[in-house]
Amino acid sequence: MDRRKFLKKSVGAALSASLASSLVPALAQAAAPAALEGEDLAKLGKALKDALGKEFKDLLPSTDVKLVLPTIAESGANVPVEIESALAMSQVKAVHCFSDKNPNPHLFSVFFGPASTTPYYATRVRIAETAPVRAILETADGKFLLASQSVRVTVGGCG
Amino acid sequence: MPAQILIRFNPAKPKAGEEVRVQVVVQHAMEPGTRKDAQGNLIPASYINELVVSFDGKELATVKPTGGTSANPLFAFKMKAEKAGEVKASYKDVTGDAGEKTQALSLA
Repeated sequence: MDRRKFLKKSVGAALSASLASSLVPALAQAAAPAALEGEDLAKLGKALKDALGKEFKDLLPSTDVKLVLPTIAESGANVPVEIESALAMSQVKAVHCFSDKNPNPHLFSVFFGPASTTPYYATRVRIAETAPVRAILETADGKFLLASQSVRVTVGGCG
Repeated sequence: MPAQILIRFNPAKPKAGEEVRVQVVVQHAMEPGTRKDAQGNLIPASYINELVVSFDGKELATVKPTGGTSANPLFAFKMKAEKAGEVKASYKDVTGDAGEKTQALSLA
């Protein structure tokens, strides 16, 4: 084997080895979606029932809902939350927001009016302790699309 | 006592058809009713439970916050600025307090 062939072979082997090792954890994650930190579905489910008359399993996880919030909040009293969607305004009716472990998990609901042109809402919320924040987008045809992200809270904002 | 309301536009003078971010800030304590004072007594709830924002009399959005919204809350929306007009924000809180403010939106 000459030098050139040897180099080609060894580089190829190294590449495939590193590819394999990086693929394995990704596949494992896809197979079993990790539970979000601080999840409390029982409490969330009750609040969903009270506010929307829905259960957690009625919500469809969707990439059409974009939820922007920090992953770590130093103070739970003031956590910026942004909810956006690429859907047309005519398809969007309302946006609801929940946090699993708050004394009252329902944070707010926004109902868009006729002057609205972009499904976008930003605010600042109180989060009691480390838990997922749920953005739920209610479509005009009655579907509830869900986006969740956990936020780690050092100092709670509700008590 | 009605709380002070601030309305701001970004960009301040949008071009016709441009998207403008309407930002409403209400100077309100938003007491959720779950916090305790230094003596350990519960502070009674006093938070905004309805905020209506409209543009030239047409409703832009209605927000129903709970105690889960921060003190001096910020509410931001986006809309296409087709023409100049007036943005009006009015709020009600659980103690029966209410207030409103209008702000003119002008185009560049």
